[in-house]
Amino acid sequence: MAGKRRTSWVVWLRRAVQTAFLLLFFYLFLRTAYYPINRIGGPVTLFFQLDPLAMLTTWLASHAVAAGMLLSLVTLGVTVLGGRWFCGWICPFGALHNLFTSLRGGRLKARLEAGGYGRWQKAKYYVLAVFLTGALLGVNAVGWLDPFSFLFRSMSTAVYPALNNAVVSLFSWIYDANPGVGPVRVTVVSEPVYEFLRRHFLAVQQPHYFGNVLIGFLFGLVIAVNFYRPRFWCRYICPLGALLGVAGKNPLVRLNKDEEACNNCRLCLADCQGGGNPNTEQWKPAECFYCFNCKSDCPSQAISFGLGKRADPAAIRPVPAASFSGKGVVVK
Amino acid sequence: MIGATIGWIKGFVKPPKEARLDLRRRQLLACGATGLGAAFLFHTHPLGRKRSYNPDLVRPPGSLGEQEFLSKCIRCGECMKVCPTNGIHPTALEAGLEGMWSPVMRMTIGYCEYECTLCTQACPTGAIRALTVPEKQKIKIGLAYFDKNRCLPYAYARTCIVCEEHCPTPKKAIWFEDVQVANLAGEKVMVKQPRVDPDLCIGCGICVNKCVIKGQPAILVSSVGETRNPDNGVLLQSTNPYGG
Amino acid sequence: MCELNRRQFLASVAVPGVISVVGTLQASAPSMAIAHYKAPPADADGIAEEARRLTRRAVDALGGIPRFVSKGNVVWVKPNIGWDRRPEQAACTNPDVVATVIEMCFQAGAKKVLVSDNPCNSAQRTFPRSGIQQAAERAGAQCYFMDDRKFRKMAIKGAKILKEWEIYQDVVEADRFINVAIVKQHSLSKATLGMKNLMGVAGGARNRFHQDINTALADLAGFIRPQLVLLDAVRVLAANGPVGGNLADVKRKDIVAAGVDQVAMDAYGATLLGLKPSDIGCVVEGHARGLGNMNFQSLSPVQLEV
Repeated sequence: MAGKRRTSWVVWLRRAVQTAFLLLFFYLFLRTAYYPINRIGGPVTLFFQLDPLAMLTTWLASHAVAAGMLLSLVTLGVTVLGGRWFCGWICPFGALHNLFTSLRGGRLKARLEAGGYGRWQKAKYYVLAVFLTGALLGVNAVGWLDPFSFLFRSMSTAVYPALNNAVVSLFSWIYDANPGVGPVRVTVVSEPVYEFLRRHFLAVQQPHYFGNVLIGFLFGLVIAVNFYRPRFWCRYICPLGALLGVAGKNPLVRLNKDEEACNNCRLCLADCQGGGNPNTEQWKPAECFYCFNCKSDCPSQAISFGLGKRADPAAIRPVPAASFSGKGVVVK
Repeated sequence: MIGATIGWIKGFVKPPKEARLDLRRRQLLACGATGLGAAFLFHTHPLGRKRSYNPDLVRPPGSLGEQEFLSKCIRCGECMKVCPTNGIHPTALEAGLEGMWSPVMRMTIGYCEYECTLCTQACPTGAIRALTVPEKQKIKIGLAYFDKNRCLPYAYARTCIVCEEHCPTPKKAIWFEDVQVANLAGEKVMVKQPRVDPDLCIGCGICVNKCVIKGQPAILVSSVGETRNPDNGVLLQSTNPYGG
Repeated sequence: MCELNRRQFLASVAVPGVISVVGTLQASAPSMAIAHYKAPPADADGIAEEARRLTRRAVDALGGIPRFVSKGNVVWVKPNIGWDRRPEQAACTNPDVVATVIEMCFQAGAKKVLVSDNPCNSAQRTFPRSGIQQAAERAGAQCYFMDDRKFRKMAIKGAKILKEWEIYQDVVEADRFINVAIVKQHSLSKATLGMKNLMGVAGGARNRFHQDINTALADLAGFIRPQLVLLDAVRVLAANGPVGGNLADVKRKDIVAAGVDQVAMDAYGATLLGLKPSDIGCVVEGHARGLGNMNFQSLSPVQLEV
């Protein structure tokens, strides 16, 4: 956090919602293995049904789309109206990148430089264009880079099996080594914990997947580059983000900067997730995730979000400070 | 509020400066060309275009014909997660580069459980179409065949039959011929030599999974005869009373 | 490691211990009972009731469950939960038979009843779809998937071929072992009955047993030595066993048999499939080793009509 400001309540709300959706993703992931009567344990494919990229490419490539995936039109609709809220509040892969981005350290100057818009952020639109063109001809390879496919596939073939193995190995070692002092054994505590984990989180049988090393490695790489640029995947690679950027480039909910209040400190860039350049007059709605970090960080409270444009920047003329008492001029 | 809405609608007609994505037309055309070029390259690869079929590409039951399958599969991994035997894995290049990370059965790790339709329930796009259990049991995903150089009663004059024991079809697709062979000591012993019935076998792979000889089992499943690709068939006429 | 020695010790004590108990009791109480249902119902609830009654009457005819289970015992109940099939398909033990056995154990004062199996299909499917997980938990037993860590390589005393094998630890640590098997046809061993059912406590590469199945089963039977064996023949799988799947292969025999002699029980079970006791290799082998008597008629089994 920049400065000594208290974090805005909107940011806390956003974090809570992101956490909830990330946990929901993990919960649905685990429920995919619950099926006592040959029926899957719940709406486990919910996130894929909300995914307009998967819906669009599948429809283009195969000329038909599963009914459930029409739910993704809601995502598109919300984005056209409001902008890329999905990326900022709902997307679980985005939440994961957000989590690792927030672990970045670094001096303020470096963060300010990294937070701004990078021209390579256009790359994701070109990636999207390649996949959409291929889909027109029946090639649905977008699954390689669709964020939910990427996350679910990585988790199911690589991350979860590795974590499962790590946990089981730990408890097996404790069970075999049986450490303790006299009659007091660690297994008295560790075995009930292990039973609980087995019941709710661990796999019934340790899964093994061919191809897991490459998939796991790519996952690690994608997470690691968040330390190079904030939310690297979301900014530079994600074709779903690109699609939502195209859909949401003219949103009803806009960032408004009070030019009078702003002193160009650029602190709003320190935690900017999407790289939408909130510090400039050229705020880029197609890159903004509506994370509200800028609003929270601004020491002059110059940033606000609302319906429509608060002021046309071209209409603001510099006026002598003595001629008004208010903070800014509202020109309709 | 109304002003904001009007401004918003105007924004679609005449996009304000910051709404421009600034994508260069030339780059976009290059991307389009790349997409088209890749698509045509994929189209002319022998796999997935009915010219050739990879015998190792045994897909989950309910999978559509290969061309259609590839147009729907989003490589999400849901089927891989849900398979109770850990039998579904991501491909490397078995389905060509186009099909990378689409699902394939690996019978040495898992197999297709006879009364299970979970992968057909898990697929979000319908690349594996939803099936009822009776429908699934009529679908062949491949055909088992013996490697007689490795199978115990053929190669080593020993009894085994683990494959037949586990075969789940109501009339077992593996049957025996009782054959008299000579063992090392020159004695005559009776062994049960197994055979696969191509009408009854649905390619589930439990025989492969339970075969005593790990790594390179004495019985394998190849994709030939799979219901989803009629061109990849083998029999002229099926007499299987269970359909398929 | 001290735990392994405890296993060996228990195994070496169990054998003469059980034989002496069986020997004493054989003189006074019946060693085998066969309960048959007079008016077999067709509906599911009726069959469930039939299974419960048959099980209870069969065990009661042997002197009741307190003969086998004492107060404070930890009992291992071993049904067949090997296959991803529903109860009507007769691939796994009837869940109501299993539930009744568990209830009786608690009535005799058992402290804990454990129910599990090392299945051939995936446990998370076989346990619920066979109905046994739900029935066992409702009856108060601990029904759990086996934990890979708890398979221990053990010396199998008296074994001719399975000198050392992975056996599930909880099984040998339990005070009592009750085998609850279903009667099914099997291509290799001709039938899979009580002795074959014991394979479910073994881990490792069990698929190698088939190369000498009769010797391997006799080795296992000599090591485990159940105190009580039940054969579920409410439904039997008469063909295409041990997996089945076709309801036409399932035959209603409406019988539950209980006994202390596992060889005699398997000998009797063979007759339910139209076979002779001498057709079953492990029965012949078990008899030859003195594990039991394959001439079950000589044990004067109590025949009950329920």
